[in-house]
Amino acid sequence: MLLTSTLLAAGVGALLWTGTDAGITALALAATTACLAATGFLPAARYRAWSYQLRERDLVLRRGVLWHAVSVVPHSRIQHVDTRRGPLERWLGLARVVIYTAGSVGGALTIPGLAATDAEALRDHLATIGGGDDAV
Amino acid sequence: MPSEAMAAPTAVARPHRLHAFTLLFQAITIARAFLLPAIAAVLGSADDDVGRMITIGIGVLTVPALVLAIAKYATFRYRLNAAELVIDSGILVHRRRIIPVARIQNIDVQQTWLQRICGVAELRVETAGAERTEAVLSVLGRDVADALRAELLARRADAGAAPPEHAGPPVELLARLSVRDLAVAGATANEAGLVAAILAGGLQLLEDLTRRIPLPDLDPTRLAPATSGVGVALVAAAGLAALALAILVIGWVLSIAGAMIGYYGFTLERVGDELHKRYGLLGRRESSVPLRRVQAVRIEESLLRRPFGLAALKIETAGSAAGGRPRGGAEAFLPIVRVANVPALVESVLDGLDPAGVRIRPVDRLARRRLAIRYTAPVLFLTAALTPFFGTGWLLLLGLVPPGLFLADRGYRHRGWAVGDGFVIARNGFLNRITWIVPEHKIQTLHLRQTPFQRRHGLATLTVDTASGGRGEARVIDLAREDAEALLESLARRVAP
Repeated sequence: MLLTSTLLAAGVGALLWTGTDAGITALALAATTACLAATGFLPAARYRAWSYQLRERDLVLRRGVLWHAVSVVPHSRIQHVDTRRGPLERWLGLARVVIYTAGSVGGALTIPGLAATDAEALRDHLATIGGGDDAV
Repeated sequence: MPSEAMAAPTAVARPHRLHAFTLLFQAITIARAFLLPAIAAVLGSADDDVGRMITIGIGVLTVPALVLAIAKYATFRYRLNAAELVIDSGILVHRRRIIPVARIQNIDVQQTWLQRICGVAELRVETAGAERTEAVLSVLGRDVADALRAELLARRADAGAAPPEHAGPPVELLARLSVRDLAVAGATANEAGLVAAILAGGLQLLEDLTRRIPLPDLDPTRLAPATSGVGVALVAAAGLAALALAILVIGWVLSIAGAMIGYYGFTLERVGDELHKRYGLLGRRESSVPLRRVQAVRIEESLLRRPFGLAALKIETAGSAAGGRPRGGAEAFLPIVRVANVPALVESVLDGLDPAGVRIRPVDRLARRRLAIRYTAPVLFLTAALTPFFGTGWLLLLGLVPPGLFLADRGYRHRGWAVGDGFVIARNGFLNRITWIVPEHKIQTLHLRQTPFQRRHGLATLTVDTASGGRGEARVIDLAREDAEALLESLARRVAP
């Protein structure tokens, strides 16, 4: 969302700034249209692509519209769990859950866009079932 | 002396200071930081008032730095209690750091060549949680450092879950590298040797060419007017090639000498449940890692080493988990090893896991096509874009297509994976083939990723993440999606039974 709005702003800026050259104007117009379309399409697609599934022994996260990713976090490997809220998220009543493991690549995994109460409940639940054998 | 502390482990031990030479080494550090620039300033601008002012300024700054160093030394104390290392420091704000012995990951005793002459050493203690080295005792007397390390190791073993028999843990020599081994390691450490050989061949060819063209003798006074343009170009090319060759040969020799000196007397052994390694001719390094901290083993076989059946072995241990600078990673390693000896070594390091009989399986055939597209598409695109505008000369770019196809084929062949009894293997890379062996019970998280291109081919990449702080990760690239999903699920089940 942030990316598309930035691009959108850049597109509009370019449009205003380079009023003279027809070719560049057309290009900027096309870019702006594409950004508008992306802004309309991407958040919904991202939202649909995002899911998490709490299973008996692990947590499965799925995300990505073009680049798909599935992550499996065994409960026993959870080091600690955070909830985080930015200003925009606070305004919308949302929160993120951040799950930390000792892993070097996927050290922190995020579940964004949860209702604040759900996020807190999930955090507490993960904190109680998590840990035990960090294998370090 | 720590030996007294050992005599009465239950009592609160007496605090110790660092070795008095600490001051000397602090002074040297300060001198390097302040005085050398000052000297440079003096030499650079002897008749310049500004230069002199800078010099005096720097000189004045060294005084507080020295005072600070002395105060730090005077306030620094360490002591070894029954189950913890306690370090007091701080001039105005007192700080006490307590490191439980059971939490210690790695104990390093290091010496630079100067410290070696002075008979002192630096002791570094690392724990899992910290982003940096938890405690640095710099410097201690060599004997004190060794005794303290031995004592810490002994107490850590006592504090651990399975204390070894006190008759002294069994020592198993895993590898001892001779000077010849190290020379081979240095000679094959990078591609310099190979490039030098190719360049030497090229130079020979150039010489032959220049000889065939009738050139006047190379007396510089007569050279310029007498030679043809082609001759000059060839001579210049030969000169450049000779220069490059000389640089490469020097680099190569330095690499060999560096390996021989740096890794002199390299010894890796298993002492009870720990890996000990030591090496170095001028400086000396000793360190130990508990086997249970080993996260994975990485076998690196470069293009240059593969024909000789040689590899480097990296033993990944838990590094700084939380962000931070990746520390060490491969804290235990072998700079050179025969591939034939690797399975036995791995079995010893990974405590019984046996990779010897495991057959490595290829990834999906479509991987070859994907690599071929990746390596040739940019060339084809460039050719198509440039040729209509800038002439048919750009069609020569198509010459890059066959090498691209070759690389794609090699890339595919060198990818592989396997699941053995208690571990998973992932292998990648043609120029530097890296094989990861990850014990199941060390897996942290699992990831399945698909780029848009992979989705088009129905492929996926499986990443096996461990707590190793080192570079890279174990990845099985381009499995068929169903196979990757099945592998993901079966590994997930094994991690958390």
